Amino acid sequence: MKIEGDYTFDGPREDVWKLVRDPEVLATCLPGTQSLRLVGENEYEGEVNVHIGPIAGVFSGRLVISNEVPPESCTLTGEGKGKPGFVNGTGNVQLLDQGDNKTLMKYEGEVQIGGRLASVGQRMIDTVSKSMIRQGLGTLNDAIKARVVARAESKEVEYTPPSETEFAAAVAKDVAGGLFSSKFFLWLALAVIMIIMAVIIWFRFG
Amino acid sequence: MTKKFIGQRIIRNEDPKLLTGQAQFVDDVEIPGMLHAAFLRSDYAHARLVSIDVSAARQRPGVVAVFTAEDMGADWQPGPPLVSPPPTAKDVIFYSRRQVPLVKDKVRHAGEAIAVVIAESRYIAEDAVEDIVVDLEQLEAVVDLEKAMQAGSPLVHDDLDSNLAAHLFQKKGDYEDAKSKADLVIKRRIVIDRGAASAMENRGIVADWDAKSQHLTIWDTTQAPIPIRNGTAARLGLSEHQVRVIAPFIGGGFGPKMMMFYAEELVIPWASKKLKRPVKWIEDRRENFYATTQERGQIHVVEIAFTKDGHILGLKDVFLHDTGAYDPYGLTIPLNTQCHAMGGYDVKNFSTEVSVVFTNKTLVTPVRGAGRPQGIFIIERLLDIASKELGIDRIEIRKRNLIPPDAFPYEHHIIDQAFAPLILDTGNYWPVMAKALEMIGYDEFVKNEQPRLRKEGKYVGIGIAPFIESTGVGPYEGARVTVEASGKISVATGIGTQGQGHFTAFAQIVAEQVGVAVKDVRIVTGDTTEFHWGTGTFASRGAVVAGNAMHAASSIVRKKILELASKVLETPVDELELDDGMVRVADIPTKSISLGELAVLANPLRGAVQPGTEPGLEATAYFGPQYGATAFGTHAMILEVDPETMMIKIRKYVTVEDCGTVLNPLILEGQIHGGVSMGVGNAYYEQLHFDENGQLLNASFADYLIPSATEMPRIDVGHIETRSSLNELGTKGVGEAGTIPVPALFAQALENALYDRELEILKMPLSPNGLFELLNKEKSQ
Repeated sequence: MKIEGDYTFDGPREDVWKLVRDPEVLATCLPGTQSLRLVGENEYEGEVNVHIGPIAGVFSGRLVISNEVPPESCTLTGEGKGKPGFVNGTGNVQLLDQGDNKTLMKYEGEVQIGGRLASVGQRMIDTVSKSMIRQGLGTLNDAIKARVVARAESKEVEYTPPSETEFAAAVAKDVAGGLFSSKFFLWLALAVIMIIMAVIIWFRFG
Repeated sequence: MTKKFIGQRIIRNEDPKLLTGQAQFVDDVEIPGMLHAAFLRSDYAHARLVSIDVSAARQRPGVVAVFTAEDMGADWQPGPPLVSPPPTAKDVIFYSRRQVPLVKDKVRHAGEAIAVVIAESRYIAEDAVEDIVVDLEQLEAVVDLEKAMQAGSPLVHDDLDSNLAAHLFQKKGDYEDAKSKADLVIKRRIVIDRGAASAMENRGIVADWDAKSQHLTIWDTTQAPIPIRNGTAARLGLSEHQVRVIAPFIGGGFGPKMMMFYAEELVIPWASKKLKRPVKWIEDRRENFYATTQERGQIHVVEIAFTKDGHILGLKDVFLHDTGAYDPYGLTIPLNTQCHAMGGYDVKNFSTEVSVVFTNKTLVTPVRGAGRPQGIFIIERLLDIASKELGIDRIEIRKRNLIPPDAFPYEHHIIDQAFAPLILDTGNYWPVMAKALEMIGYDEFVKNEQPRLRKEGKYVGIGIAPFIESTGVGPYEGARVTVEASGKISVATGIGTQGQGHFTAFAQIVAEQVGVAVKDVRIVTGDTTEFHWGTGTFASRGAVVAGNAMHAASSIVRKKILELASKVLETPVDELELDDGMVRVADIPTKSISLGELAVLANPLRGAVQPGTEPGLEATAYFGPQYGATAFGTHAMILEVDPETMMIKIRKYVTVEDCGTVLNPLILEGQIHGGVSMGVGNAYYEQLHFDENGQLLNASFADYLIPSATEMPRIDVGHIETRSSLNELGTKGVGEAGTIPVPALFAQALENALYDRELEILKMPLSPNGLFELLNKEKSQ
């Protein structure tokens, strides 16, 4: 599956870069993340707890960042495995300074999905992943905005990331807009969202 | 003798049981102390098994055992080859690679079983499967047939030089010579993709090893209980008499349940014997999409040579056949394709070359049609294209090429799926086609209705597709017919039943001979204790092979009845009548004896036994045909296409079948209706979508669409009977006839409906999406 798109952050490029290279911040962007550890130079490992509907279990993954050109671009290669299946992928992320405290992120990548995720979730993956990215980037942007504001006012950063439930609900609501009518699809969407979120966040923002 | 029951529209004996939920299926089997199995299956299509750790699973409360390939030790053996390569073909290449009980070194398709958990309940077993830690190193998957054959492709089987599983070339006459004389040569690339059989009941197996009696009982959703019994006994080092395989009521077979020795059939009986406990495994639908065999994937490059007046001079076909990860079923499917690519036409020069290809996909074995729909699709498509290019009406061009009735038996000089020379035993093709034309109202539709509807802006098309179906292949089946003291008849045969109406059709054959009511004949199928010899239900052979064995056995019993009655009633046999369970003297109706009384007399008391006496009014007989009987038919359809959405509505559907003697038109029509429904799925709804990594992307009925009642039209079935010369009843098979011509028919009707678009359909299955894309592609070119 190909993923590509762009997103404009309300913060300077240096801030965005720092944030997306900070595993702690990333972990807060994906509720359910048990850990995200730096295990080598530019190499992370992490676990995400997924438990929605019948798709449940720990999803563990590894992420390598290469071709790094701070604060402009990098390549992400990752693989994740868990009870619901597996995800492998490679992606390129580019940050473009737009001036006026705006940063444009461009991303494109190729993701390979297998197992229950692919066979049962296929019909939703495309739509859901787009929403996932929107919601995930929105969460990050909120964090960046909080930092920018805090710095301007020389205060402690006050930012509470959304809870697992809030996040899932936001994505589900987004996706459900006109697409899914039944409860069945709602939970299926939720399940897929959670897992793809893990991957995308790792891949796009590591 | 007048036919009293054969050919009658008799309501099915088995239906009250089935309709009231009283029939036993495998999952109905409950045994005290029974354990439940769940399998760990690979998410990857192609991967090396690096390590597996089952210790956590073994510790879960309620888990009795967890087995991996290593745990099976020397008992770990691939399944047996089911069909050997053809011994009679020249220069055949065949690499036999069979499915394994549990993955030992390498995963070769997504869903392949890696380990099994046996637990107190299925819930616990499923949870424990999740406790297993397995390290699989993903390998590049072999998915696309053409890429699989290119140098440098990853290999499904590392010990082979390529992914070629088999190669077979057959020819009749000289195609190149025929081509040099042709006025028109058409060459096309035709792609047919995979579908699932989607039986309503998934697979299941219960195995119960009784250590005290040293006896193994297996309930299995198999179409072939006797081979399963024999193979299991051999694998477990038991006598065939220590193993009883019961194939009870089965919710649809359609071919994949024939594939004896699935991983689960290898593992569950072994586990039961090892644990000395009954073990049950019931497949769930998602497993079915991965672990139950599929069919139809082929890519053909075909060429056909015509004279300008539309006579076929020759046909050449070079094709790839997808066998999936293993090839236990040999060359049955591609041989069927080769044998049906000429349809019912008089093709004098034929050249056909198949390369069977291993891929990292679920195994391929016959699915209702079994290579035949692909063959028929090819020849019918080529005739449609030729009809347009030569300006000859599509009915006329077919009529000109049909094998004439005086040419039978017609020998094709190639070998068939049974490795015997392909001979079409009997046939009279044009009347069947003519009847279908009449039933669909072809002339009226084409002359008046279609122009009128087109003026209204409607896209309505008509299609007509004749076909042949090789049926009723050997080796043999048997039957035992017994008159019981109650006067009722007990019958057993070795084949299994999956909804074909055997309990009625076979009862009709027997009742006709022994003079009882059809409901008084009790049939037992698929229980190896009841009948020891046989093969199975496949290749549209039940009614032909087992049916004729029934006929043979009941004819002998009839003779025994009459001979005994002749003694008792002191009347010559030819003056006796056998009817309604009584033997009567023709002229003196009061002088009679019942079958029950005769049965008692046939079981002699002490002192009454003379040398040579055999007890009982009973006989066992076998029937094995010289070669398969070829049935034929024609389907016709009128459909309407919505030019925006490409959704279709079938306005009228007719079939005319000639399967020789009809045993029961009601059952026959049921078989046709079900077959057509499967064919409609194959043509316009059902397609298994694999991505380039071998992941199945639509493994649920939410995404894999099966025609339902709302998609299916009313189907009118017409019959013509041309008796087979190969058996006494004159029967031919009809189990697959409903499915075979449907994709060819759809392609023709769709092109005819969308008459003002540039459309040439060279692939199946289609779908509304698929057709839309095809039209837009042609437009943009």
